[in-house]
Amino acid sequence: MFTRRVLKSAWLSSLPVLMGYLTMGFAAGVLFAGRIEAPAVSFWAFLTSATSISGALQFLMSGWAQQRTPLLDVALLTFCLNLRYAMYGFSLLERFKGIPWWQKFYLIWTLTDETYALEVENRTPAGESSIAYCLAVAAFDHLYWVIGVTAGALFGSGVRFDNRGIDFAMTALFLVILTDQCREKRNRIPAFTGLGATVVCGLFFSLENVLIPSMVLMLILLLLLRGKLAKKETEA
Amino acid sequence: MNGMTLYLFQLVLVTTAVTLLLRAFPFIAFGRGNRPPELIRYIGEVVSPAAIAMLVVYCYWAYFKARPFSAAYGWNLPEIAAGVLVIALHLWKRNALLSIIAGVILYMFLVQKVFP
Repeated sequence: MFTRRVLKSAWLSSLPVLMGYLTMGFAAGVLFAGRIEAPAVSFWAFLTSATSISGALQFLMSGWAQQRTPLLDVALLTFCLNLRYAMYGFSLLERFKGIPWWQKFYLIWTLTDETYALEVENRTPAGESSIAYCLAVAAFDHLYWVIGVTAGALFGSGVRFDNRGIDFAMTALFLVILTDQCREKRNRIPAFTGLGATVVCGLFFSLENVLIPSMVLMLILLLLLRGKLAKKETEA
Repeated sequence: MNGMTLYLFQLVLVTTAVTLLLRAFPFIAFGRGNRPPELIRYIGEVVSPAAIAMLVVYCYWAYFKARPFSAAYGWNLPEIAAGVLVIALHLWKRNALLSIIAGVILYMFLVQKVFP
């Protein structure tokens, strides 16, 4: 199943992700070690990155741990932030049908934005197993992310350097994602709805409590706009 | 087990469980090849840009609160300049890594050297 050809092809496909995950993971790890006062902070950086494998979440987690954000808030925020993952599987249902459960479990567990993109692109060499290709891509990406975050945390907790301002990596990541999303016209009204809902809720709630009401208002508004936006989608 | 260790342990469990369930959703609910209802597909499409926009507002608000508008913090110029650089560079070059690294370097430089 895992022939040299399939592994080589998967590794070559994963190279762009190598760059991205090592760098972003490193920044997230430095921030994690800088904000959290716990014994063995690098171990926790390793564990959090290996289990949830989610970029934006990794940045948010350091703030949550620092402030001891209530777990219900954590669950709701994780849900809204990662709801997009719930759509990815639809295009992979067919391909993953009938494979051993542990392979399916691993492929689902590791389904990040980047891994999903590579699996959909699917550069399996002719005559090889596309499941082997997907598993290899998923494992490479998983490894890059864990190494990036853990190395960042080890560096951040071991080397004393002026890391003031490195937290901007999270803001920059969100700005980049938003810019990409707004290239597509159909995403602009939803983005503006999220922005507006948060600003409006900001008038009534404190910074610590604003995200939950914002998400509720945002969802209500998006449901109200459904007729208009769903129509646009079919046109586009 | 001290309080932080317990919290981190719970954090791992909650974030992993929610993320894993989301990723598994199509396989659990539609494993037999049913198509998802229109409403679910609609929410899945529109919630992502909305949530990211919300987080951008949240991040900026956190900066404006921690570094109130004043000469001491450079009138929030570091946050605004770095944000503009990230967006402009990303519109131009479409390279996520480049945009983020450039933004972080400019921001760190501004808060450490220009408005310390």
